[in-house]
Parts: sequence; structure tokens; C-alpha cells
Amino acid sequence: MAMRSQIYEWTNLAPSGTGSTLSRNIADTSVAIASGTQVSVFTGGVGYNITKPAETTATQFVVIEDIACSPDDSTNKGGDVQIRINTTDYFQNPDVTQMSGVSGTASPYPRGVDAGSTTNLLKSFDLYPDVYVLPGQVWDVLFTAQNALAQTSTADCVAAFIKYTLYDGPDALIANKLLELGITVNPANVDWYKRTLIEQQAGGMM
Amino acid sequence: MAMRSQIYQYLATADSTSQASIFVGGLGNNITKPAETTATQFVVIEQVASTPSTPITMQSTGVGAFTQIRINTTDYFLNPDNRPNDGVPGTASPYPRSVQFQPSFNLYPDVYVLPGQVWDVLIVVTGRAGAAARPEAFVKYTLYDGPDALIANKLLELGISVSPANVDWYKRSLISAQSAPPAPAMD
Repeated sequence: MAMRSQIYEWTNLAPSGTGSTLSRNIADTSVAIASGTQVSVFTGGVGYNITKPAETTATQFVVIEDIACSPDDSTNKGGDVQIRINTTDYFQNPDVTQMSGVSGTASPYPRGVDAGSTTNLLKSFDLYPDVYVLPGQVWDVLFTAQNALAQTSTADCVAAFIKYTLYDGPDALIANKLLELGITVNPANVDWYKRTLIEQQAGGMM
Repeated sequence: MAMRSQIYQYLATADSTSQASIFVGGLGNNITKPAETTATQFVVIEQVASTPSTPITMQSTGVGAFTQIRINTTDYFLNPDNRPNDGVPGTASPYPRSVQFQPSFNLYPDVYVLPGQVWDVLIVVTGRAGAAARPEAFVKYTLYDGPDALIANKLLELGISVSPANVDWYKRSLISAQSAPPAPAMD
């Protein structure tokens, strides 16, 4: 289990009267977010959260492969998602100023969501090349609401989705080695590197 | 029949919002005992999926679900703070797939169940209790049995992905090595 495909789904749903929750409940209702406010999907204090910021240990390596969120259109309320590594935002404007990230219209969640006028949204954006989180780094995904979201409103529920692969232990060391060699870090290349090591070892024993 | 593509479909027949096994949870169609591999079996789980929902439909009348894979006592999907989560949302890996719900998630790398391990798929239902629709789940896996399970173990040792194509490749390599002419004797 040294390479594991992982997901994280955030929604702005929490028990009524509270801002955030560590576990989903059927009775959760929407939490208000002001227009243009950027919230961490992990520890932002809005909706479904985790206990501490996402970070990699010295023996972990994370590859973020996909991010998506609710689109903002005539049928849905949504926003944008941004990746932050330590204090650096991944998506920037061409003039190197800050932006709110990839819109849910470009990378919708759910994929194929009804966007009104008999239209179903498909993705225009693919996170390629992937984003690497090196050992010891803190990472975050930030959601920005394009329009204000009201409290306890069925129509004001939004979600964000992150797909990443966690490399742990020896596989994280191999991931670092691949990065050094300028080779893309993915499960196939990690396996290839392992095979190369085994072949070398077998050759040396002859 | 030493490599077999297998599926399991689950339809819940009772309301539950806590995590329940789709094999022996007692809340839908079940099997007679927990899923496990014998000493001569190797299972590769290639896909899990469940009933999707949008945040809005989940809040009103819809039903959604999450699926988690458990090997022995270890949950596969964890939050970044290392706490087990509910698993893959049906919204990311929908079953059935439709125009409105297309997969955002692909279970890659696959999940291996080694010989002698017990495995399970757990479903958590979200949405309003008493909804007319019943949550569903779907698992696609490949069962390697007998000699093919041994080859699957060998591939795992070699750091090669266990797939039908790679098992066949290994078999071809063995046959080629066996049928090669013997090396000339050295003086």
C-alpha cells in the first residue's frame, strides 16, 4: 500500500448553527460564504473539514492529479479552486498577479452536471502536468465562491473535489529520485524504476 | 479460468447512514460470508462506484453514497490528516454512469488483495432518509487463481503491475526461457 489513489470531497454542509464538521451527517445544511471569499477546503472552518492542514511527512510525496468544483451558472452556484503549496498559489494571471484558480465551469464537479438549457457541463481543463507536493511541504486547496452562498439554503450547496496519489516510504524515495531525473512521477514510472533496480541487482549477482 | 473478471452489484433495501458492508452488512443483497482470498487466490480491485448526487439534490430528495475499500482492518481511503474517510463519493465515481454523472475518479493504481486477506467494500448513504431511490454500489475486480495467482505474486515482487496482460507476458517469458536451446558447455 505504498502508492495509494486518494480523494477528498468538500461541501459547504455542516450541522445547522455550526460552521464546520469532521463527519458528514444527513441533517447537515449549507454554511454561508460571502462572495469572493477564499476558504480552505481542509481547515477553512466552513463545511466538511479535517483536523489539521494537509502536509507531507519526510517519507511522503503527493501528486495532485485533478481538482474540480461546482460550476457557477444559471442552474448552479459554484466558484473556483486554487492549489497552494506552502505559501505559493499555483495558478497565476499572466501578469503574475493572484487569481482565484480554476473555475468549476472549466473543471466541473460532478462531471456532466446539469447547467440548464439542456446542457451538461464537461471538463475543459485537465491538470497536466500534475502538481507535486514534496516531503515536508504543506498544501491546501482553496475554494472561492463567485456569488454569495446563503445559510441553510438547499440551492446554495457547493462542492469541491481533489484526486491525488500518495506515495509513502520507499515509493516516496523513488518519487524523489524520478523528480531528480526529470521523469514524471506516476505509478507506472515508479514501478519502472523498481524493475530497473531489481534488474541491476540481478545483473550484479551474476 | 485462472484469471476471471468479476463484478458485484449491491442494492440497499433499508435506510442507513452508517458505514455498512455491501457483502455482509445486512442492509441489501448480501453474500453468505465475508470476501476473502484463499492461499491460492489473488484479487485486484479495479473499480468501485456508487449512486451519485449533486450537493443540491442530496439536500432535497436525492440519495448519494460513498464507497470505502477495507483490507483486513485497514481502510484504503484516508483524509490528508490520516483519518479514514467515507471513501469515494458516488458523485466522483458514479454507478450507473449517465450524461449528468460521469466519472472524475479512476482507481489507479489498483488495489491488491493478497492471498489470505479479508476484503470488504463499505457503503455510506447520504441524502434524505426515506427517499424513494435506493443507493447502489458496484465493484469490478479480477480474480487470479492457482498458477496465475503465483504469477501475480511474482509480478508484485518484481514491481510490475498485476494485470491480465502482464500475467500473460510472464507466462510467455517462462515458455520462451524453457524452449530456448541449452547454453554450450564451457571447457
